[in-house]
Amino acid sequence: MIAALLLLIPFLTALLLVTMRPTQARPIALVASLASLAVVLFAWISYTGGTVIHYDYDWVNAWGLRFVVGYDGVGLLMVILTAVVFPFIIGAGYGQPEDRPALFNGLLLFTQSFLYLVFLAQNALLFYIGYELTLIPVFFLLLFWGGADRRAITVRFFIYTLVGGLSLLFGIVYLLIQSGGNGDFTALANLSIPTSTQLWLFWALFLAFAIKLPIFPFHSWQPETYYMAPIQGTMVLGAVMLKMGLYGVYKLVFPIVPAGVEHWQTTVIVLALIGAVYGGVIAFRQSDFKRLVAFSSLSHVGVLCAGLFAWNTYGISGSFYQAFAHAILVLGMLYLVGAMQERTGTTDMGAMGGLKGHAPRLAALFLLVLVNAVALPLTQSFVGEWLMFAGLWQVNGWLTLFALTTIVIGAIYMLYAYQRVMLGPDRANVTLQDAGMRDHLYLVPLIAVTLILGVYPGPILELVDAPVQQLLSSLSVH
Amino acid sequence: MRRCNNSFQAYRYTEMSVLVLLSVLGVVLLYLGLFNNRGAIAGVGIAGLLAAFVLVAADWHLESPLFNGIIQFDTYARSFSLVMIVVTVLLFLFGIDYYAKVKENVAEQYALMVFSLIGGLLICSFTNLVVLFLGIEILSIPLYILAGGKRDSFRSGEAAFKYFLQGSFASGFLLMGLALIYGATASFDLAAIEAFSTALVGGQDMIFLLGLFLTIAGVAFKVAAVPFHFWSPDVYEGAPTLITAFMSTVVKTAAFAAFYRLIANLQLPGAVETMLVVMTICTLFLGNIVALRQTQFKRLMAYSSIAHTGFLLLAFLGTDARTPEVLFYYLGTYAMATVGLFIVLTLAKRAALGDENIRIFRGLFQSNPWIAVATLLMLLSLAGIPLTAGFVAKYRVFVISLTQGYLWTTVVAVVMAIVGIYYYILVVREAFTAQEQESKPIVVAPLNWLVISICGAAVVVLGVMPGLLRM
Repeated sequence: MIAALLLLIPFLTALLLVTMRPTQARPIALVASLASLAVVLFAWISYTGGTVIHYDYDWVNAWGLRFVVGYDGVGLLMVILTAVVFPFIIGAGYGQPEDRPALFNGLLLFTQSFLYLVFLAQNALLFYIGYELTLIPVFFLLLFWGGADRRAITVRFFIYTLVGGLSLLFGIVYLLIQSGGNGDFTALANLSIPTSTQLWLFWALFLAFAIKLPIFPFHSWQPETYYMAPIQGTMVLGAVMLKMGLYGVYKLVFPIVPAGVEHWQTTVIVLALIGAVYGGVIAFRQSDFKRLVAFSSLSHVGVLCAGLFAWNTYGISGSFYQAFAHAILVLGMLYLVGAMQERTGTTDMGAMGGLKGHAPRLAALFLLVLVNAVALPLTQSFVGEWLMFAGLWQVNGWLTLFALTTIVIGAIYMLYAYQRVMLGPDRANVTLQDAGMRDHLYLVPLIAVTLILGVYPGPILELVDAPVQQLLSSLSVH
Repeated sequence: MRRCNNSFQAYRYTEMSVLVLLSVLGVVLLYLGLFNNRGAIAGVGIAGLLAAFVLVAADWHLESPLFNGIIQFDTYARSFSLVMIVVTVLLFLFGIDYYAKVKENVAEQYALMVFSLIGGLLICSFTNLVVLFLGIEILSIPLYILAGGKRDSFRSGEAAFKYFLQGSFASGFLLMGLALIYGATASFDLAAIEAFSTALVGGQDMIFLLGLFLTIAGVAFKVAAVPFHFWSPDVYEGAPTLITAFMSTVVKTAAFAAFYRLIANLQLPGAVETMLVVMTICTLFLGNIVALRQTQFKRLMAYSSIAHTGFLLLAFLGTDARTPEVLFYYLGTYAMATVGLFIVLTLAKRAALGDENIRIFRGLFQSNPWIAVATLLMLLSLAGIPLTAGFVAKYRVFVISLTQGYLWTTVVAVVMAIVGIYYYILVVREAFTAQEQESKPIVVAPLNWLVISICGAAVVVLGVMPGLLRM
């Protein structure tokens, strides 16, 4: 019932919005996303551990496609993440100019529905179908509402992601044949694939997620796409879509090609960290606020991926914990980008400056969002980063040191950004509106979540801990 | 229903009754042309085709050899026949609007398509190589005329001439090949040739080998496999759009059905296997890469058709019991998407006063949102994006080729599938980009709207429930 509600509430609402084009599209979408949040919270409360399977139907059984949906702790965390993020994404539209709102919000809800499918799927092909389907609504979000040069960038984004997607499909088909046509994750995890095969199969599977995240050197689509996309589109990409990459690694790579992971672990960590440092350095050089957020996301994702590939309890739990924190952070930062754009008409930080004098409350909110970005203790990011670095430490001390520099770089570019926007001489020369009711309604809950989970990470870590332990112990048996 | 017994021979020839029905239908259509009543022509044509559909479908599993065992309408033949008939019906429905402004010779167009369809039915049911040759000729000769259907158009004439010349050449190949096979095996009967090839395993027979090479070349011409594809872009572009659609759906389906029927149970010598692999890789490569450079939609569809030939050939490699079903599904769903897209093209071309650049799709979403969505679905299906039929089709092909151990060929195919997505998505992008300056809006007649909707819905429904379309 829960799975059906999750998949159908956004999907049917989206269908309604797209076909009927009601005038009150945004409130309808908001209500639908809140309804699905309520369902998810109910699922969370009633979750008692283990893997819950909600539906198990044969779809095209002869070809390995079965409709199996359910979740373990990590899957549930991802579902919670999706459910929490979407009301905010839709709500962010209230500050934006309204252009065909029914279509826009319909596409957003389609995305949400397909994301649920990805995180609920317990069959590799079903996962793949959801994974590719999420691209379609996002493609149109970018094509219709993107900024300059959107036609070229959208196609590049689409093709880039599909390169990974088809490589993933190839890997899945290969696995299906090995397993005799059974595509369930449980069956695939029980395969024993020769190590020599695992070495290349790892890349066939991982390439999709490496591009989706993205990690260095598969990242070249990301900054331009994030920059060009409408703010809400960037939120979808940064807050949830890239988490499919993390989740995919956890679900499709770790249990199925462990020997491959073992072999490539260091390579991936090094690549991810290069991306993290590189993203941070470039972010520092940006004068555009939105570009800065794009590159900072690239930097954060590098660390996320490195933590995940530490491949121990700390690393994996930390990575997923941080994934949640990063989603909240992306929402906050991008909302601020939107708020600035609304007030000053630009996202260029060079044109801002001294805003604090005009808008002290906005500056305060900005600072509170920012402390999460620099992983200050008592924020959610601190917990996540600490866990990841602890995990990395068990792998390699030097690499950890390298990774730690991203924190320093992160602090530098974030505080520098704050300085350029809020402090210094007043360059805006406009009478700014301070943060109003809407901004508080939006940002205060985000900040609250950050701080609460920063002090009390238990509920989320509990979700992640058991399945990660189980995964790691099952691997050591092999 | 009365079942046929030996005592009542005539009733066993239900399949023959389809051939008779269609032949009569063609002649009737020609006579109707005398009265120049266009509505009646298409109506009668569609009614006749539906009757043929019922005749084929009614005796679904009857497997009786006909005419001293040179034709056998088994499940395989019937399934492909049904697809071809359905697609022809859709094209006739389209034809009502397409030929609305044509003054004369409309009846001939319909009649020739029906005659060509008869050839298609013959070559997917042959058990004797003579029927294969006859069928291919019956299929092709009306097409030579149809390709030149626009009498005032230089390009149309060029298309007809090119198609005729190269087609005759291919027929020559085919005939030579059949003669050589006969020389080696002393039989035209497919079963006897299969037995010969089984007995030959391990040994060598140059005449047989050469015969197979030439025969396959002749058939490969019809499916436009590289290097026998040269006719297809020019002919696709020059021929009237309706005929292009007919060629890339009905004719392609028939040719593939014949191709597989020919080699399904043959023990192919190693050299022929290699030839097929090389042909597959070249077709995949050339079709997709050249399609990247196309800006004219019909040429794009021609190269995309070549690319799809590559994917279909991929399912031929090795001997997998699932191949016929995959071919059937692939061709059926490919035909649906293609028919719909050619109709959309015709409408957009009309609005753009004859231009065929993919840019003419601009503004489609603004003016006709539903048609744009249907176009999107059909293009996604051709590209092979999940939940459309095209995805299921490609996926099944990959499963077969990987099961058969063609790892690297499959890798090539996967890479080419990505390339394929690129040129389809460019068309999607055009359809969903707003028009800059005002131009004639794209007008969709109700019947065309219906056919496009059927095609668009079909690729999704068949993609979600692939079980609906099986042999």
